[in-house]
Amino acid sequence: MNEAARTVGRDLGRIFQALAGLLFVSILVPLVWREYYAIPGLFVSGLLPLLAGYVLTSRFRGAAQPGKLHGMIIAAMGWFCVAIFGSLPFLLIAWTVEFAPPILGDPSQTSTLAAFTNPINALFESMSGFTGTGLTMTDNEEVLPRTLQWWRSFIEWVGGVGVIVLTTAILARPGSGSLTLYESEARSERIHPSIVSTVQTIWWIFILFTFVSILLLWVVGMPIWGAINHGMTGLATGGFSITDNSIATYDSAAIDFALLPIMLLGSIAFPVHYLILQGDLRNLYADLQTRWVFIYMGIGTALLTVLVYIGDTYDSLFTAFRYGSFQFVSAATCAGFQTATDATNVALGRWPVQAQLTVVFGMVVGGAAGSTVGGIKLIRALTLLKGIRFRIADVFYPETAVRRLEINGRRLNEREVRQEFEEAAIIATLWFLFLGLGTFALLLLLPQGEYTLENVIFEVASAQGNVGLSAGITGPESLPTLGKVMFLFNMWIGRLEIIPVLVTLRAIFDRGGLYR
Amino acid sequence: MRLADVPVVGDLLESGAEDRVFDSLLLVGPALILVIAVLGRSAVTIGLAAAYVLFFVAYVLYRGVRH
Repeated sequence: MNEAARTVGRDLGRIFQALAGLLFVSILVPLVWREYYAIPGLFVSGLLPLLAGYVLTSRFRGAAQPGKLHGMIIAAMGWFCVAIFGSLPFLLIAWTVEFAPPILGDPSQTSTLAAFTNPINALFESMSGFTGTGLTMTDNEEVLPRTLQWWRSFIEWVGGVGVIVLTTAILARPGSGSLTLYESEARSERIHPSIVSTVQTIWWIFILFTFVSILLLWVVGMPIWGAINHGMTGLATGGFSITDNSIATYDSAAIDFALLPIMLLGSIAFPVHYLILQGDLRNLYADLQTRWVFIYMGIGTALLTVLVYIGDTYDSLFTAFRYGSFQFVSAATCAGFQTATDATNVALGRWPVQAQLTVVFGMVVGGAAGSTVGGIKLIRALTLLKGIRFRIADVFYPETAVRRLEINGRRLNEREVRQEFEEAAIIATLWFLFLGLGTFALLLLLPQGEYTLENVIFEVASAQGNVGLSAGITGPESLPTLGKVMFLFNMWIGRLEIIPVLVTLRAIFDRGGLYR
Repeated sequence: MRLADVPVVGDLLESGAEDRVFDSLLLVGPALILVIAVLGRSAVTIGLAAAYVLFFVAYVLYRGVRH
């Protein structure tokens, strides 16, 4: 076995060990809720990654530090394997209830839970959770065992910050290897010079904000179990709910408005949160991305409010603002909570097409890089816009002119502009390419005439942007198996910003002799 | 034994915004959620939870003004 495989194997092993810890901690939930039948499933789900992790880390203990290529492969494979192991609780608990062994009591099977006896549905739910997407294979979340309600929220919460960030924080290992892994998980900004300190501070901020979110939701009227789950998934901008109609179930303006700051917190980069907690509030407007989070959400909310109001979707301007602001922020922060559902529980079911496409635009761009959101990210959209303006203006200057482009307080020279612009353009191009491919594939797979083109674009953008709003296409029965496989891929590349997945696939094909 | 010597808690205190008030909010948070889960919704628990959230917001603003 070559050195690269040893490095990848060792670090994958560490990720599996961290995942096993999450599964064992979750055993507390069936104990508290007396769902004892769920304990064996959770225990076995934790034991498998623990053993795999132990074997890999002990066998490849002395492997070299990961380089950039290894980091990308570890990130891509790590996320995929974690999704596979994370699907085990869904699968095993569903089968436990299906068999209903007398020694574990007599839990009642439901069609919602029975859907997870199909491994592809369990894997879909797990990938959707870890990537913070929030599309679901459940028909009715309310009838799921509390253990699985918790596991869905918990994996979104962890996935919001990142599986590798978690591993780096728990199994701290100083050195360049941790930095490489950190950057491979679509992050770059540091809070402290040490990467281990940085990830620990990120978790500190995330945990504190989680408690604040839970308590805020409870104060405005949400029951405590709902507040715990929605506080976690709202801050992580994941969007899994424990109720059938998502946040629409509560039908409370206070809860809707309380969730707005929670989702916004999740869409601001962690280093900015750190500076704000340090007392440096100027970052709310001085930091380019944070400033644009507010500008972008403000413009989107105003536009959506006007569109749904003049489209006669709602009677009053306040109601239009309530639903418009919630759905735009929910989409643009990639949370994917739904309040504007119709009788068939379809997101934005009553909304005019132009309003639905405005929401799609919000999903595509997303929030700040370095936060919990998906999408292309604001900094890339702004780099593209500024870069285009810079290039057009270039024609009006003499060839000898020395020009610089200012982005977020940095003055970039020509070479740096080209580099930043190229990176943003590559990711944006790939993003739209896969959005187009996904849309085309879904149009082929779905029954003809059942869904409109805007529904299909909406659903693929939602999966790839890790948003989770659904136009009603995603479901255990409504989405064909090939469509589920395609969405698994969309969610995976969306979370890792595409390149690490493509690098990994190239490495696999190259090694297997398929690429050349 | 100091609080900072307790496993996990010590790491948490070392990791954050280097401010004991925020550290305290972090440590009090789960206890308060547990109290609410056990006692349910009452004037006292609502008051405690509201005080926690308001104090957090007010303290962030206070730090900003002082900065």
